[in-house]
Amino acid sequence: MAQPLIKKDDDRDDESEYSPFLGIEKGAVLQEARVFNDPQLDPRRCSQVITKLLYLLNQGESFTKVEATEVFFSVTKLFQSKDNGLRRMVYLMIKELSPSADEVIIVTSSLMKDMNSKTDMYRANAIRVLCRITDGTLLTQIERYLKQAIVDKNPVVASAALVSGIHLLQTNPEIVKRWSNEVQEAVQSRAALVQFHALALLHQIRQNDRLAVSKLVSNLTRGTVRSPLAQCLLIRFISQVIQESGATQTGDRPFYDYLEACLRHKAEMVIFEAARAITELSGVTSRELTPAITVLQLFLSSSKPVLRFAAVRTLNKVAMMHPMAVTNCNIDMESLISDQNRSIATLAITTLLKTGNESSVDRLMKQITNFMSDIADEFKIVVVEAIRSLCLKFPLKFRSLMNFLSNILREEGGFDYKKAIVDSIVILIRDIPDAKESGLLHLCEFIEDCEFTYLSTQILHFLGVEGPKTSDPSKYIRYIYNRVILENATVRASAVSTLAKFGAMVDSLKPRIFILLRRCLFDSDDEVRDRATLYLNTLGGDGAVVETDEDSKEFLFGSLDVPLSNLETSLKNYEPSEEPFDINSVPKEVKSQPLAEKKATNKKHPGLDTPLAAPSTGVDAYEKLLSSISEFSSFGKLFKSSAPFELTEPETEYAVNVVKHVYDGHIVFQYNCTNTIPEQLLEDVTVMVDASEAEEFSEIASKPLRSLPYDTPGQTFVAFQKPEGVPAVGKFSNNLRFIVKEVDPSTGEVVEEDGMEEDYQLEDVDVVAADYMLRVGVSNFRNAWESIGADFEKVDEYGLGPRESLTEAVNAVISLLGMQPCEGTEVVPNNSRSHTCLLSGVFIGGLKVLVRLQFGLDSSREVAMKLAVRSEDEAVSDTIHEIVASG
Amino acid sequence: MLLAMLISNSEGNILVERFNGVPVEERLHWRTFLVKLGGENLKDAKNEELFVASHKSVYVVYTMLGDIHIYLVGKDEYDELALSEVIFIITTTLKDVCGKPPNERLFLDKYGKICLSLDEIVWTGVMENTDKERIKRLVRLKPPTEF
Repeated sequence: MAQPLIKKDDDRDDESEYSPFLGIEKGAVLQEARVFNDPQLDPRRCSQVITKLLYLLNQGESFTKVEATEVFFSVTKLFQSKDNGLRRMVYLMIKELSPSADEVIIVTSSLMKDMNSKTDMYRANAIRVLCRITDGTLLTQIERYLKQAIVDKNPVVASAALVSGIHLLQTNPEIVKRWSNEVQEAVQSRAALVQFHALALLHQIRQNDRLAVSKLVSNLTRGTVRSPLAQCLLIRFISQVIQESGATQTGDRPFYDYLEACLRHKAEMVIFEAARAITELSGVTSRELTPAITVLQLFLSSSKPVLRFAAVRTLNKVAMMHPMAVTNCNIDMESLISDQNRSIATLAITTLLKTGNESSVDRLMKQITNFMSDIADEFKIVVVEAIRSLCLKFPLKFRSLMNFLSNILREEGGFDYKKAIVDSIVILIRDIPDAKESGLLHLCEFIEDCEFTYLSTQILHFLGVEGPKTSDPSKYIRYIYNRVILENATVRASAVSTLAKFGAMVDSLKPRIFILLRRCLFDSDDEVRDRATLYLNTLGGDGAVVETDEDSKEFLFGSLDVPLSNLETSLKNYEPSEEPFDINSVPKEVKSQPLAEKKATNKKHPGLDTPLAAPSTGVDAYEKLLSSISEFSSFGKLFKSSAPFELTEPETEYAVNVVKHVYDGHIVFQYNCTNTIPEQLLEDVTVMVDASEAEEFSEIASKPLRSLPYDTPGQTFVAFQKPEGVPAVGKFSNNLRFIVKEVDPSTGEVVEEDGMEEDYQLEDVDVVAADYMLRVGVSNFRNAWESIGADFEKVDEYGLGPRESLTEAVNAVISLLGMQPCEGTEVVPNNSRSHTCLLSGVFIGGLKVLVRLQFGLDSSREVAMKLAVRSEDEAVSDTIHEIVASG
Repeated sequence: MLLAMLISNSEGNILVERFNGVPVEERLHWRTFLVKLGGENLKDAKNEELFVASHKSVYVVYTMLGDIHIYLVGKDEYDELALSEVIFIITTTLKDVCGKPPNERLFLDKYGKICLSLDEIVWTGVMENTDKERIKRLVRLKPPTEF
């Protein structure tokens, strides 16, 4: 219940400001409520007491069960009074008190009497109160009256019954659904509000009956809609009908003309609703969009903030799908940057950032700079994220965008805001190689004056990874060592690790790093001292300029080769004893992620939280795992590991997915298996692979999994040989074979020693051409295209046959080749008839490949494609054409 | 659904509040959020100037009338435009009941009548009446004139 947020000021100077409820006390008011029991009722006095009770309830005062019951019983006595004002108060009071089921019976008869009263207003109010406090059984008793009320000639009675119906539909749908004839009649009512309420209820009753909704909509579009509110509802139902009809072509889109006509309605509410409905049509054409955008543009300069907000919010959504359609509004939108309402201004800016072209970036940034100083952090975060997307879209503009980010990083702001900026800079550094050095320096400057330990440590870690790879790593040392002098222990410890990374990676810096690390040996914090000692010893602290051996680097900075969750479980299970904890006892199998979790993580942009260069870290872990298996150690360097591909339906007995590991002359299937039956233990788990549809592959090794207990993932491997460097393709069918033993789930002990051999059919797995391509992007495609040269350029044209849209064709070719789309060219503007898509990647053998695809769509929806490939090897260029020709 | 209607004085003391479909444990959060929003933005606002905000799928429209701050929160069909319609009826009715844009004292003087009027305008999250003359009559249990 309500609590007064601020204690009321009891001693105000101004007499007239005194509250009439000053000093009000629950006990006293409850005493006063005894007047309800007087034989001679004073309606005025009673109304005043009810007002006080309402005030108390609204102030968050709660009544005990006894108090509430007492008040409720007293209030019911007031039904004796014929005073209208008091009766109205009584109705409200009963609703506020929400009597319990056993008390309801007390008022039921009085309310039933009112419901059949000749006074319309008693009827309307009694319906509302009864519907508020009633349960299913009582409802069947009064259903007859409610049905009559719906078609009552008094609009207040009809509305009361209809609105009650809307509420009752949630609790007693089967009863309310029986009223549809009456509600249908009420839709034809001449009273505007009755029609509105009836329409809302009728739609809710019939919402699962598409045909009925469609009929209702057709009738109403031809008939009279009496209020803008009802018309708005109608437009919403129309959108739903259009959506469900699945029509995407202008010609057969029903009701478009009606929506378009609504754009000329006199009520702004209707115009806006129609405009929004049009913008949300699936596959909307620019011809359909134009009139809607025009009215929204007019709303942008409305004097009403709500209209401006509604318009800019809708245009912001349109800009995600059809940025070009919104560009006409850019001038109006720019003037909204200075709108007093910050929500409107933020929406305007983020829309402009979506629709802006490369040439307008600088002007826009100037405007935004002024704006940033006077908005709240949550709006700033939205802007920062929009700027990040803009920078990835126009990588050539990174200088001004990076400068903007570094400037706002210096200003005041909370943790989330600063983290958003730092994350953005990190992403830009990763995706735009040219931005690396300046970005790192901005981060260095930020940690000089950063109040957030978390951000400082994350940045120091990032510097440790990226700094040594720059042209002049020494310039970062000062910033890092300053942390050792100036910061708290957590940051100091991070700084020591970062210094050590520079020492390990850059041999020329080693002697100087050692001097600094030795100073850290006297730090007041033991973690800092321990780290310094560890690094000095492992890197060879005699200060000589020698190369750090790979083992030391791996030991110090390599990723932990066991999953953290497994390590955590093992540590929890470890009982303190003489025997030290052995990290080798920690299982290395990665538990497969639940699907929902996977989706959530995929959506996120990788910021500081995610491991740096995430894909390669994954490959590193796989490489380590595979090289530890003797059968595969001779295969050479791992070229690529695919994402896990599920071979079983979700929630089956055994969950199996496969990861394809591609080497130059081999391919290894890693089957990640999970046993989901607590009563079973699986042993000698292998996958029998039939490679008869993969002629170029021959199986050379298989590594079974000795034991697969319940809910502990395990892996089994099968390796194939294939012609070296050739992108051989094929289909492999899989069968899981194992010995199943029954176990007692409570103890985990095997009940029967002799198991049974069983087979379990899995889905097939394909090796496709895309498996031989690494998705590696370039920041500036044109430069990369020119620098790779036309020596091995191959151009050819292909017919892709009839397609739904260009987008479909573009996506098909991208997934066929498995390459990285560059500069956002994978997005095809809606309804365009031609498109150019730029792809880059590294083909097996480490050869860089660039592809320029030009698509065209003719009137019969046939797609033609011109494919230009440039690569470092002629054979690779030919192979790309072969892949496309055979795909 | 109209999720919340909140009326406070200019210092953020709650005078009237109605929540619909908002769990009890979330109400304090909403109350604090709305009062803070008003505290930040309504200070120099003009009478009945509308302010609007949205968070995910929820809309907030709020305004000031005399010394009183009015906040509405809605979702789905109660978007910013529908809420502005409701808030317009509320302000009109308040002016009508109080005779002028109310200060806190006047508002509390007419508290009973205001509660009744609000009960006619919004009933458990659904807008019910939109005409101030009709509301005026309904509060006195008089039938509307126009039928």
